[in-house]
Amino acid sequence: MALLSVDGLVVRFRTHEGTIHAVNGVSFDLDEGETLGIVGESGCGKSVTSLAIMRLLPKPAGRIEGGTVRFDGQDLLACSEAEMREMRGRDIAMIFQDPMTSLNPVLTIEEQMVETIQAHRKVGNEEARTRAIELLTIVGIPQPENRLRAFPHQFSGGMRQRVMIAMALALEPKLLIADEPTTALDVTIQAQVLELLQRLTTETGTAAILITHDLGVVAGMTQRINVMYAGYIVETAPTAELFAKPSHPYTVGLLHSIPRLDAVQGEELIPIEGAPPDQRRAPVGCPFAPRCAWRLPDCWTTNPPLVPVRAAEAVVTTGPGATHRMACHNPPTAGEAAAGRPLREGFVAAPPPSAVADELALVVP
Amino acid sequence: MTAPSVAIARVAPRASRGLWGDAARRLLRNRVAMVGVVFIVLFAGTAIFASWIAPYDPNAGALANSLQAPSSAHFMGTDIQGRDELSRVLYGARISLLVGLGSVIVGVFLGGTIGAIAGAVGGRVDNVLMRVVDVLLAIPGILLAIGIVAWLDRGLPQITIAVAVTNAPIFARLLRGGLLAVREADYVVAARSVGVPSRRLLLRHMLPNSLTPIIVAATLALATAIIDVAGLGFLGLGPADPRTAEWGTMLQDSTKFLRSAQYLIFFPGLAIVISAVGFNLLGDGLRESLDPRLKK
Repeated sequence: MALLSVDGLVVRFRTHEGTIHAVNGVSFDLDEGETLGIVGESGCGKSVTSLAIMRLLPKPAGRIEGGTVRFDGQDLLACSEAEMREMRGRDIAMIFQDPMTSLNPVLTIEEQMVETIQAHRKVGNEEARTRAIELLTIVGIPQPENRLRAFPHQFSGGMRQRVMIAMALALEPKLLIADEPTTALDVTIQAQVLELLQRLTTETGTAAILITHDLGVVAGMTQRINVMYAGYIVETAPTAELFAKPSHPYTVGLLHSIPRLDAVQGEELIPIEGAPPDQRRAPVGCPFAPRCAWRLPDCWTTNPPLVPVRAAEAVVTTGPGATHRMACHNPPTAGEAAAGRPLREGFVAAPPPSAVADELALVVP
Repeated sequence: MTAPSVAIARVAPRASRGLWGDAARRLLRNRVAMVGVVFIVLFAGTAIFASWIAPYDPNAGALANSLQAPSSAHFMGTDIQGRDELSRVLYGARISLLVGLGSVIVGVFLGGTIGAIAGAVGGRVDNVLMRVVDVLLAIPGILLAIGIVAWLDRGLPQITIAVAVTNAPIFARLLRGGLLAVREADYVVAARSVGVPSRRLLLRHMLPNSLTPIIVAATLALATAIIDVAGLGFLGLGPADPRTAEWGTMLQDSTKFLRSAQYLIFFPGLAIVISAVGFNLLGDGLRESLDPRLKK
């Protein structure tokens, strides 16, 4: 049985400008000790998915409108707020994107760390402090006794993220969700922080979800990857397989839009044209269709389900042998994936049907 | 030639002055605010030491000395009853400081509680409380204060309450707004994500981060409170005992001698201006030093 099991999760935001369809039925499983990457561009629902799992969506706008989240056999969506609070930090912890704003500016590091520990364990101040020093040492902060008394603004971004990691791992949670933990950091610090995260989660056997838009980050860190687009998982596979055989046009596009050191001289970068869909509209058809070079007429009207790439394969959702699945009517062939564009003779992406075209014209002035 | 030595000392990090320390440093460098502080010190010192520095009893007067112009014996002259104006101005500072400070403290407490409940509970409670606050804000402050004093009768505690009630809605608004602003702040969500209890979340994480506008507003409110108290006195709603030296009442009494004894209106007026300007300058300075975004 999986440690975390998300099934058909739907999250919407009710705003003055209408309903934002942030997550539109996301399902995935995670085993104990497994590391899963969630990739996708800004606004595709990565962070919202993780906040929904933690039940930390901004109230009252953000609502979980469907699906289930089971963690360790418990239905998280049915838990009371008090039960959730017990679980947060102790069983599931989270690291946020911006370490510059994730620590309270008016409290010392010590107060914040001790508070985290004492929220879940009946320990005295001295004991909690000792544990805090121990944690800071583990995450590689020099002179932890002195640094404990410092305020967040006296730390650099990398140091603050180390503090955040120390706090997240203070109670040895079973699951760690890292939401773009290195996006706000210098490239040189990124590697250190990632290495630290990887070492600590491996040592403690903590399962991890790493959310990022950086494929380079997930490549070395995760066992499996979910690629998200506009609130859907469009492709999921073990990491090596995803990089070797990308099967969804969006994944192909992502891989071709990052520069590679080992690229053949003169090989061009192929950006993904256009912008993600306006999520104020209820999704119709494949969300990627407007930007896709492989689209068929069907893509405008029917959203393809997430199915195994190799048809008739039994679906395994977790572990190294997880089934490679994707949601596409017209997946690129291996050759096309390598080239980054359709190679079929005379193939032209299907033009939008008139109804959709009208609607697109309305949205894109 | 000696090689430049690169000694990387393992110094302990400088003891932090923290957020407040930095703000204090910025405030000390603000000349205008320091002028305000001088005014306030003058005002508060006068109020506290009035009984030592006043040359005469503020209520003792001989009709023979009535309406004397300023002289070496009576630095600010005497009023119609022959009482020393200087002593009365000095004692008047007591009333202003006491009632002004008292009303702001009560106002912050009252408004802060309402704002904290509204901001923390939210929903319908928030809606109802804020509409009440809106109604109070719609009534001009001095008018509301007059109404309350007329209702509760004259007297210093009544004036304190009246001025407090006129100030409270501003504090309620400010604190509620501050709490709403930090409710979704990264560090609050982060604290929730490690399971910090909601009571603690409010008291330790949200409140301290929404207090700065309250501090600024309270300082500025002191200036308004002093003027309001004087205003009530001027309108005849001052202290219950008409003999009490109170600046507004003194102004009112002196209007009858506007042509013959202008000094009687000048000195209490000056006292009101100095104390009110002092708090205004300090309030502006505090706003600048506590909010780095306003730095020029």
